[in-house]
Amino acid sequence: MNEIEQLAESDNISPAIVCKQVVSQAKIGNRPVLDGIDCEIKRGEFVAILGLNGAGKSSLLRSIAGLLPLKSGKILINDVALTPDTLQQARQPLAMLFQGGGLIPQLCALDNVLCGKLGAFSGWQTLQGFPPSERRNALELLDRLGMAEFANQPTRQLSGGQQQRVAIARALMRSPQILLADEPVTGLDILAIQQVMQILADLHRSGMTIVTVLHDLGLASTYAQTAMIVDRGRVGYHGTSQNLGLEFDRLCGKVDQQLVKN
Amino acid sequence: MAVRILIFLAIVGVYSWAWTGLQVDLKSLQDSGGNIADFISRLFPPDLSILDVAWAKLLETIQMSLWGTTIGAIISLPIAILSANNLAPWWLRWLANFLQNVVRSIPSIILGLIFVAATGLGAPAGTLALGIYTIGYLGKFYQTAIESVDRYSLEALQVSGASWFQITQYGIMPQIMPLLWGYTLYMFEYNIRAASVLGVVGAGGIGFELVNYIRGFEYNKATTMMLVLLVVVTAIDIISTQLRRRLEQQ
Repeated sequence: MNEIEQLAESDNISPAIVCKQVVSQAKIGNRPVLDGIDCEIKRGEFVAILGLNGAGKSSLLRSIAGLLPLKSGKILINDVALTPDTLQQARQPLAMLFQGGGLIPQLCALDNVLCGKLGAFSGWQTLQGFPPSERRNALELLDRLGMAEFANQPTRQLSGGQQQRVAIARALMRSPQILLADEPVTGLDILAIQQVMQILADLHRSGMTIVTVLHDLGLASTYAQTAMIVDRGRVGYHGTSQNLGLEFDRLCGKVDQQLVKN
Repeated sequence: MAVRILIFLAIVGVYSWAWTGLQVDLKSLQDSGGNIADFISRLFPPDLSILDVAWAKLLETIQMSLWGTTIGAIISLPIAILSANNLAPWWLRWLANFLQNVVRSIPSIILGLIFVAATGLGAPAGTLALGIYTIGYLGKFYQTAIESVDRYSLEALQVSGASWFQITQYGIMPQIMPLLWGYTLYMFEYNIRAASVLGVVGAGGIGFELVNYIRGFEYNKATTMMLVLLVVVTAIDIISTQLRRRLEQQ
């Protein structure tokens, strides 16, 4: 057990993310996409969120980022409740990665990275561009991720893996304590998948809480400490990331039984 | 099968109904062939002695289109931003869309008449009319461009705490600029033709001379006007197609 895990195990540190009976406004069929999510993610945890399509994995992540309106329930981030009034404060420790990167394709890599810092400046300030110190930070981050040579290239010219690394640099501009990643490796080739997952693992080692939606059980057990299986808008399992196949069989078995019953 | 027959009968019904409104006199339609041939024969040969007038009026038309399109584009952008479903609340969207619809439902020639009444005969009236007319179209084009921006790229900025203004500046503008230039170029080209019609009501441009020659039975001179217009419209079409293709590659 490493130091961070020991810290996370102790009770006197509050969890990074708490969801209490979270129900979303959005629906899939007759049920809310998130239908009573209860979970607790410890500080320094690396958790993979897994589940079938439409189970609510991405929606869970988006609700934690304050991008999905809730019908009821409560989300706490570092003990700060996420409400429309506290949105900016609650988001402070967060950064998020999106499937495909979510970059501005016409802007160069450096400008995209700088966009991660928009919240720290007023609209009037950013209209005149970013201060040189921030540009240096952005360039350093790109360098750390092996992307310095592409700093002035429009990101639409970069490969999927390179784009995701620029997106990671943009997320790191906020110096986040918690990194949410929504299918960060979907659509990437094997080498790029390994690179991106390795970066996430390194960030985790440096103390960051990582919450990532994945599709691959193998990746989850290799890189994540814990896994959370979302099933029809609820958390069906939250525990070690080993033997996930068994857990999936158990949940899918339940689905089959229900199909037979109906 | 029965449904198909019903649809077919309905279509036939609609067309017959529309035909009764036209009050076509088949007898005069038969005689019209000769009239058309006579009219066309009188258009030729073009009278090239007025080439300098035609050229001057054409330049005026292009100048009107340039300014009209620019004025329209500048006003269209904020209206489009306020109409877009990923940037504005529903009530503002409703208001901005309503404004767009009002402008779009006024024919350009009516706008021409309104501005001739306001500023007198000549190019300024036509330019203002084009400016307003442009809003009806560019507003809608810009709006669709804004609404088609990748959602994730905007959410990423939202999570990094960017304000509405910053999302527009960094998220929306760079992504829509190539499209915006393309649409605006197309509108400039279209406005040269629209400006030719505005001349009919005295709002400046090549149309004024064109109609005067036709009214004065000086068809050969009218032909020169139309030929010059044809050459320039074709040239501008070729140039702007090239430009737009380059913009799309960005």
